[in-house]
Amino acid sequence: MARFEFKLPDIGEGLAEAEVAKWLVKVGDHVVEDQPVLEMMTDKAAVEIPAPGAGVVVEQRVAEGEVVKIGAVLYVLETEGRIGGMNEQVAEPKQAQAAAPQAAPQSESGVLTPREIIDFAGTPVLAPPAVRKLARELGMDLAQVRGSGPGGRITAEDVKRHTSAPAPAPVVATGDRTPLRGVRRRMAETMAESARSIAHVTGFHELDAGAFAIVYRRLRDSADSAGRRFPFDALLVRAAAIALERHPIFNSSLDDERMELVMHPQANIGVATATPEGLIVPVVANAGARSLDDLAAEVDRLAAAAREGRASVADLRGGTFTISNTGAWRGAHGTSLIRPPEVALVAFGRIEEKAVVRDGRVVARPVMPMSVTFDHRVIDGEQGLSFALTIRGLIEEPEQLL
Amino acid sequence: MVAGDQSDPADVLIIGAGPGGYVAALRAAQLGRSVTLVEAERVGGVCLNEGCIPSKQLGRFAAAIASVERLAIAGMPGLAGAPDLIAFHRHRKQAIATLVQGVQQLLTAAGVVVVKGEARFVGRTRVCVQVGEESVRYFDFKDVVIATGSEPVALAGLPFAGDRVVTPSAALDWDRLPASLLVVGDDYVGLELAVAYSRLGGKVTMAVPGDRLLPDFDADLSAVALRGARIARVDVRLNAAPADNPAFERVVVSAGRRPKLSVLDLAAAGLARPAGPFNVDPQLRLDRHVFAIGDVTAGLSLAHRAMMQGRVVGEVLGGRPAAVDATAFPRAVFVEPEIASVGLTEAAAAASGREISVGRFPLTALGRAVIEPGTYGFAKLVFAGGGGPLLGAHLAGPRSTELIAEMALAIEMGATAEDLALTVHAHPTFAEALMEAAEVSLGRPIHVRPPRGSAN
Repeated sequence: MARFEFKLPDIGEGLAEAEVAKWLVKVGDHVVEDQPVLEMMTDKAAVEIPAPGAGVVVEQRVAEGEVVKIGAVLYVLETEGRIGGMNEQVAEPKQAQAAAPQAAPQSESGVLTPREIIDFAGTPVLAPPAVRKLARELGMDLAQVRGSGPGGRITAEDVKRHTSAPAPAPVVATGDRTPLRGVRRRMAETMAESARSIAHVTGFHELDAGAFAIVYRRLRDSADSAGRRFPFDALLVRAAAIALERHPIFNSSLDDERMELVMHPQANIGVATATPEGLIVPVVANAGARSLDDLAAEVDRLAAAAREGRASVADLRGGTFTISNTGAWRGAHGTSLIRPPEVALVAFGRIEEKAVVRDGRVVARPVMPMSVTFDHRVIDGEQGLSFALTIRGLIEEPEQLL
Repeated sequence: MVAGDQSDPADVLIIGAGPGGYVAALRAAQLGRSVTLVEAERVGGVCLNEGCIPSKQLGRFAAAIASVERLAIAGMPGLAGAPDLIAFHRHRKQAIATLVQGVQQLLTAAGVVVVKGEARFVGRTRVCVQVGEESVRYFDFKDVVIATGSEPVALAGLPFAGDRVVTPSAALDWDRLPASLLVVGDDYVGLELAVAYSRLGGKVTMAVPGDRLLPDFDADLSAVALRGARIARVDVRLNAAPADNPAFERVVVSAGRRPKLSVLDLAAAGLARPAGPFNVDPQLRLDRHVFAIGDVTAGLSLAHRAMMQGRVVGEVLGGRPAAVDATAFPRAVFVEPEIASVGLTEAAAAASGREISVGRFPLTALGRAVIEPGTYGFAKLVFAGGGGPLLGAHLAGPRSTELIAEMALAIEMGATAEDLALTVHAHPTFAEALMEAAEVSLGRPIHVRPPRGSAN
């Protein structure tokens, strides 16, 4: 018999942590290789974590709803043989204890620390230089951290655990409380991060959508007769892709740590999609290189997957720009929050007939409201306006989109 | 601004290219700042050009003579003749030129603009640099780092005079051995010079103002320093008045250093001139956009302290959350035997009212030391009581200046006597003395007799 500590593997590029969505097995259950053991919620998609081999789940180390870091032990599997590749074998718990250093626990109050050598007035903390640096970067007072090492030494893990420890709950009115999980939690985090770090500027525009509506209906009808679907958003993605080619700054990111602008070689356009779970943004990869038919098929596939909660991590990653179509909910003008590290977003409202002046006469025209929101740290007002005018031209003369 | 003034913008202006200033410049430049570095003399500062580096060159040269003498008992033939100081200085200058050039290349590669000249403030965000006899340049800075270093202090009754009564730096340049040399002072700078010139064959007298050498080190180190100086034939006179004596051909006054701030005109920048060094915060800040590092700040006058501060200030300028939070700065004295120290002395640890546990291991009990004739010294470690962490380490003996690095790491990591005792040290090496001293503090030494009644 051997025991394997199964650690959360790196399931997606750039993901540092994930939330335990659901255990699919109980302690004592026998699992076979590749059998899903638990479901993790990452970057807005649910991922099933398969067993690395056959065995019995003898211990669950994490609870549903817990956010765990890559590398954290999720469960312990007792197996017959050795499992290669995934995680190192660990000794039986008894042996592990015997091998542990015999450092006796020391009374915290009795230990004087070297920090006092230079700072007798300061609170004594016992932490190696790298841990002190980490605490400084996190803006944390080490005196508040409880050290788990010998003699109360503070480790990097202690600091990280302290950061993620819940702050004492403020006294608020009682009410029905529901933990924010999964997609809604990600939305809360991403949007707060956006509002905190990005200098948002929004410009509002009204587009004459008469010709656009005709072109769309033609495309939809012809797709219908071929037994396919042509989503409205596909045409908007097309317009955005062409505009991004002409205004590459809108397809960039700001590396604000190094103050460097990163220009993205291809346009991966996210389409904000409302789902019962909350807002998610599936991404049309390399939208600029796709044919209109291909674009329509991909937008259709992504929207369906998102609504049904089947979107994969890959579907949700790598966005460089976002469009939001609020028309379906009768949305008109509104500001948006940019999804970091993107630098801009364009939102389209509902097409409605409005009174406009044409050649000196008031006429009724189908008008589509549009707002262009950009990060003023990267893009200036003139560039913002110029981008909006490009999209306006594409929508008002939609032959360019075909 | 005076009409007609031409000024250049300087994103970051660093005044002084010593070990603090050039390190700050490199780090700030790495982090994207545009750096102008002003230096009146040569990059590398006192340390590289006329301090740590040349004094170690002289010290190591002299120590080689001492090694040969000590090995005579084991059959080593003596020296064929007197050391050739002219050849020595030729090599010395080449080595320094190589180092200076290396720093210059790093600065160039990092895009740091080096301006030669003396800088003084002429406004809150402006300095004037005297770049030539009659030409000046103005720089308008966003952030400024004062890294002008320090200068030797003269004694009231013993002013520096020509090339007879000189600073320690000047004494490193002699290409002829003085017939007789008086060193006035008790610090490591004076001691290193006295021991080196004595070993080179000079007749050296050391006038020590108090009753011990190295008064700011652990008392045991002061004692071994005195013994070592006398074995090196330095005539050490304790409690001697610091006065000139015309009988000596040359006199070196080593009475410490003071911040070099007078030419800066701090008032023009709205900064108060401190009575002594600047007190800075852990980010090395004096004011929002004014920083100070190195010998102009309160603390030990050491190149490695300046370098650490330079690295930190460079990161602060680059927007990083850096701070100087080193617990202890090691000190290395290149005499016979080598002396090194980090952290609290035994006396200071005891005076702080804490319980301490001290382990001292003599090199006479160490295999590696016994095989080298004439080797003596010890490792003395001071721990917090109750199995607490290392507070200070005081070493005397060969390689002590290298071994102190392990002790500095141990202090920063909060290592205890058990940690050091259970870390395997290679045999036979001088480093074993550290492990043995930790064992002594735990009352269970192997190579010396344990204290009576201990049964650990």
